[in-house]
Amino acid sequence: MSKLKLSGVSKAYGATLALRRGDLEVLAGEVHVLMGSNGSGKSTLCKIIAGSVRPDAGKILIDNRPVTITGPRSARAEGIGIFYQELSLAAHRSVEENICLAALPTRSHLFVDRALLKQRAARYIQLFEEVAGEGFSADALVGNLRPDQRQLVEIMKALASEAPILIFDEPTSALDRAQVDCFFEILRDLTWQDRGIIFISHRMDEIKAIGDRVTIIRDGETITTLNLAETDATSVIRLMVGGSGDMPASQSSAPAVVEGKDGAAMTVRNLSGRGFRNVSFEVAKGEILGFGGLHGQGQSALLRSIFGAGSISSGEVLIGDSRFDASSPRDAIRRGCAYVSGDRGRDGVISGRPIIENVTPIHYLRDRLMIARPSKLRDKVVPALQSMHTKFQSLFDPINSLSGGNQQKVIIARWLVDRPDVLLLDDPTKGIDLSAKADLFALIRQLAAEGLGILLYSSEDAELLGNANRILVFNGGSVSRELTGTDRTRYNLYQAAYEAA
Amino acid sequence: MTRILSFARQPLVVALVLIALLLYLGQTLSPGFASGGQVLRLLIVASLLGIVAAGQNVVILGGREGIDLSVGGVVSLSAIIAGNVMNGADSGIVPAILACLAAGAFFGLLNGLGVTLLRIPPLVMTLGMLGVLQGLLVVIRMGIPSGRAAPGLSSFVTQPLAAGIPGIIWLWIAIGVLMAFMLHRTVFGHRIYAIGSNEHAAYMAGVPVRLMRVALFMISGMFAAIAGLCLLGYSGSSFANVGEQYTLASIIAVVFGGTSLAGGKGGYTGTMAGAILLVILQSILTTVNIDESGRQMVFGATLLLLMMFYGRGRAMRA
Repeated sequence: MSKLKLSGVSKAYGATLALRRGDLEVLAGEVHVLMGSNGSGKSTLCKIIAGSVRPDAGKILIDNRPVTITGPRSARAEGIGIFYQELSLAAHRSVEENICLAALPTRSHLFVDRALLKQRAARYIQLFEEVAGEGFSADALVGNLRPDQRQLVEIMKALASEAPILIFDEPTSALDRAQVDCFFEILRDLTWQDRGIIFISHRMDEIKAIGDRVTIIRDGETITTLNLAETDATSVIRLMVGGSGDMPASQSSAPAVVEGKDGAAMTVRNLSGRGFRNVSFEVAKGEILGFGGLHGQGQSALLRSIFGAGSISSGEVLIGDSRFDASSPRDAIRRGCAYVSGDRGRDGVISGRPIIENVTPIHYLRDRLMIARPSKLRDKVVPALQSMHTKFQSLFDPINSLSGGNQQKVIIARWLVDRPDVLLLDDPTKGIDLSAKADLFALIRQLAAEGLGILLYSSEDAELLGNANRILVFNGGSVSRELTGTDRTRYNLYQAAYEAA
Repeated sequence: MTRILSFARQPLVVALVLIALLLYLGQTLSPGFASGGQVLRLLIVASLLGIVAAGQNVVILGGREGIDLSVGGVVSLSAIIAGNVMNGADSGIVPAILACLAAGAFFGLLNGLGVTLLRIPPLVMTLGMLGVLQGLLVVIRMGIPSGRAAPGLSSFVTQPLAAGIPGIIWLWIAIGVLMAFMLHRTVFGHRIYAIGSNEHAAYMAGVPVRLMRVALFMISGMFAAIAGLCLLGYSGSSFANVGEQYTLASIIAVVFGGTSLAGGKGGYTGTMAGAILLVILQSILTTVNIDESGRQMVFGATLLLLMMFYGRGRAMRA
């Protein structure tokens, strides 16, 4: 029996089509897995079901009855519950209050009924009693819990909605083995109650363990739905990658592998910290070392920590032959390290200030300047901006007057006035247009040719395959595989990213 | 037309137009209000406020809800220290200046450390400091007025120094030039705007954010101390809480001048106009016999009106 059915659902944001044609049918009593790479459209599909995004076209049926979902409230009324990947908990409230937050039991419609709330929450807390770990109790403040315990509360909150259709978007990312097993037991119980469950995960072993059927989405289109029992990981990944997955990265687009003839630009040994553990690698002068893998597997955390803006608990970093271990970005910059974040708004743009002041901070620091003479600075700033083909009217226009791509070029230009030895790129092309991307990668290759060591993390696999000499694939905070030479294929990249370490 | 409109909406232009209107209004209410001598006296009073507001200005520009409510207390304390150190003798002027600057820097340092190391919000930290300073004033003075201004200091503040203009106005002009230079032509100034606009991006670009913030509070304390010293010269002797009114007034002057309370936007030229405007407003209120409490109400209401007019409320949230 069909619990939920979507047919021909589409959604465009301006000119970009996030979802071209989404089809999905979830049966009562099954765990239905949704798979697709970053940006394939699966999260847009989930948001449409949950009511936070309204589709441009297409039909939605619940229990074979056509429905229109106008917002999150109406989705809840239609019997849809969702687990949010980005945690939606109130940190200063207790576990039991968070669990019941969506529907607080009240007396005379005004006062919270504490006794009923306790009783209701206890039912869900008790499900995870064995695995919740130390310090977890009904009246503990959510803000004091560990990440895995918070994720459990999020799961309990989704379960407490008692919705016939439940969506779990990467619910297990922070959980340990025992917690995952316990959660899967509960999911199986739910399927016996004929509920329909949509499950998103990037761990192939989990998908095999819990899933009944899988729907694969690629480039905004539903490709197919398969029975998981009748398929294997290899074919699933092939379907996600599409036809050209076995082609090695084009050699013409990537510079020849440097054999370390000039020595190492940066060496990292057994580095561990928050979000990554035991990472070792060496990047040669003139080499572009790619970081691949699914989003949030420690790549960003590692780059930020090398730059002095994260936490390092053990291991060492060397630039050339000397210990580096930056204590702050200021320290890192002084010693020849550069960092460009894809999150311009937070890490890069000094909003409301002129373009010139967005380029000069690094120059101030490295040249120990006190006085800022516009005429002298102009001679340094203009060539840096021109090498990126940045389009601007006047150096004194506010940076906000530029397009996103041009803003990012300005941010990158600040590192070109005084050349660093090592350039850390943390998904630098996020949200910028194609021509700006092309300019950026042309510059990155030129910088590599001039002898910089470059670490490149990108959430777009094509960028890694097209530019990196080697690719380290990250999985759960550590490097699970290294791809070199002709091994650098889309297929291998996916396989390494999706196979659990 | 839109260009004219956007020009007319600039805070500095608004302030200058309002200054002219208020002078005209004052002249109508009481002939002689806008005479040369009277305007000079207004400018002396404005320069005292303007010097306090210079420090307030940099703290507010530095962002993260930066504000210094302790300036009123520092002004009072500085006036008392100066009065006791010089005690009517010109030879005591230099030691008094040094003592005042040291005291201002010290309390600014405490504010800065509280805000950066202990992560106390500036509003709370400096309000607490104001309370401490007010208590301290009662203790050290034990209710008895003490200390006199040196004649040299008094004449610097009240008598013409060059071109018929008193020294304090020249000092204020010099501070104005210095502030403009600092904010727009030094690395320090650019960094103030950077941390005020996007603190995290500034940190990632190697700006020593905490050190900067401590420095800004110290600058504020020292400007307030200079103003306290000059205030002693203006009034001859120090009396209970002379500086009290400067806390609110300095904030209004900064906002009048178009500096955003959210930080990162604005400058000192507007603040100078704001200080003059405020002093003229106060003078008119005195002319029409509105007492101190009435003036305070008008000031408070003015600040609220300004916030609405410039639409700063939204900027604070962003």
